[in-house]
Amino acid sequence: MIHTAICELLGIRYPVLQGGMAWVSDASLAGAVSNAGGLGIIAAMNADGDYLREQIRQTRALTDKPFGVNIMLMSPYAPDVAQVALDEKVPVITTGAGLPSQYIRAWVQAGIRVLPVVPSVAIARMVQRMGAHAVIAEGGESGGHIGELNTMALVPQVVDAVDIPVIAAGGIGDGRGMAAALMLGACGVQMGTRFLVAHECAIHETYKEKIIKAKDIDTLATGRRLGHPVRALKNPFTRAFYAKEYDAGVSDQELEAYGAGALRLAAREGDAQKGCFMAGQIAGLVQRRQSAAEIINEVTGQAETLLRGACQWVK
Amino acid sequence: MFETVVKVLADYKDLSPDDITAQSTFEQLGVDSLDTVELVMTLEDETGIKVEMNEKLKTVGELVKLLEEGRA
Ligand SMILES: Cc1cc2nc3c(=O)[nH]c(=O)nc-3n(C[C@H](O)[C@H](O)[C@H](O)COP(=O)(O)O)c2cc1C
Repeated sequence: MIHTAICELLGIRYPVLQGGMAWVSDASLAGAVSNAGGLGIIAAMNADGDYLREQIRQTRALTDKPFGVNIMLMSPYAPDVAQVALDEKVPVITTGAGLPSQYIRAWVQAGIRVLPVVPSVAIARMVQRMGAHAVIAEGGESGGHIGELNTMALVPQVVDAVDIPVIAAGGIGDGRGMAAALMLGACGVQMGTRFLVAHECAIHETYKEKIIKAKDIDTLATGRRLGHPVRALKNPFTRAFYAKEYDAGVSDQELEAYGAGALRLAAREGDAQKGCFMAGQIAGLVQRRQSAAEIINEVTGQAETLLRGACQWVK
Repeated sequence: MFETVVKVLADYKDLSPDDITAQSTFEQLGVDSLDTVELVMTLEDETGIKVEMNEKLKTVGELVKLLEEGRA
């Protein structure tokens, strides 16, 4: 059994978080992960407060265990969903795409555990000072919106820079990745891509099939030009986006507009042509559909075996 | 304070101090959002002042103002 400071902090059995994923992680997936002893996280994405309130209530109907809400700070509804999360007194909030300066104090005062996703040492230090309870250091291997550094380089540097627990994210898909993350100094892991194929994950079948079929080289990061790159499976949509990105005749606004709604098309409609199937580089390792509980048990069990065996190298 | 910011910024990004004015935007200076946070943390270490920053920080002058408010 692997037990770390994150288990204590969040009141969970296994130090495994299911990352908030727009159009993907709703009450069904989050509730299943929390029931399995990890931390399920509902994505507030770009939806309004009513959507989030409904998802929180559904999650509470599914589980009495702690769960989290992921708030995208760039969302036009961020102030609205920030308030809903506060009113509902959710146990945990993770934040993405920005600094939570405006909201963090109120959340912390309400007793909510706040875990910002951070792409750099300076941002980790800054959110620690704002009162964050832990940080999620997410490397650019991951699916969705990504930072510049990779997990291997980012995690130990963040661990050295802050006094609060660090959770590693990006490119972790099995017990080997989890064991490695712990060796880098993390107290837990957050996975996204691996949970895409969970039975309780309500995305379109085509999306799951594509993840299972994907190989190591099948993802591409696009949108660097817009300042917020996204990693997704290569398909007609990402290839066209990539071409437009390097076409000076296409304005930034046109490029943004071209990408809008593409994740929804992938997750809901399974649109192989126009959908943006966000996924991390670890997709090639994901081979089987399993329940959230099977995923968590397998990953933590393997990590435990590996860590126990690690002294074989030390003579 | 302005001088301190210019010195740290020029040093960090290999810029000529003469090219930095209060009106310079970070974008013009090639300082992206990650760099801006790095810059603020370096300045905090240097001055001992703690600032409350958010994404709206766009110019050198605004940063100087934030630091001066932090000192008060
Ligand atoms: C389809 C998809 C959607 C995502 N949406 C969000 C999001 O809305 N907010 C966020 O903070 N992170 C988002 N992420 C990142 C995940 O929460 C997680 O940190 C990441 O997937 C971890 O890396 P991995 O995919 O290599 O496991 C998303 C990831 C994927 C694959």
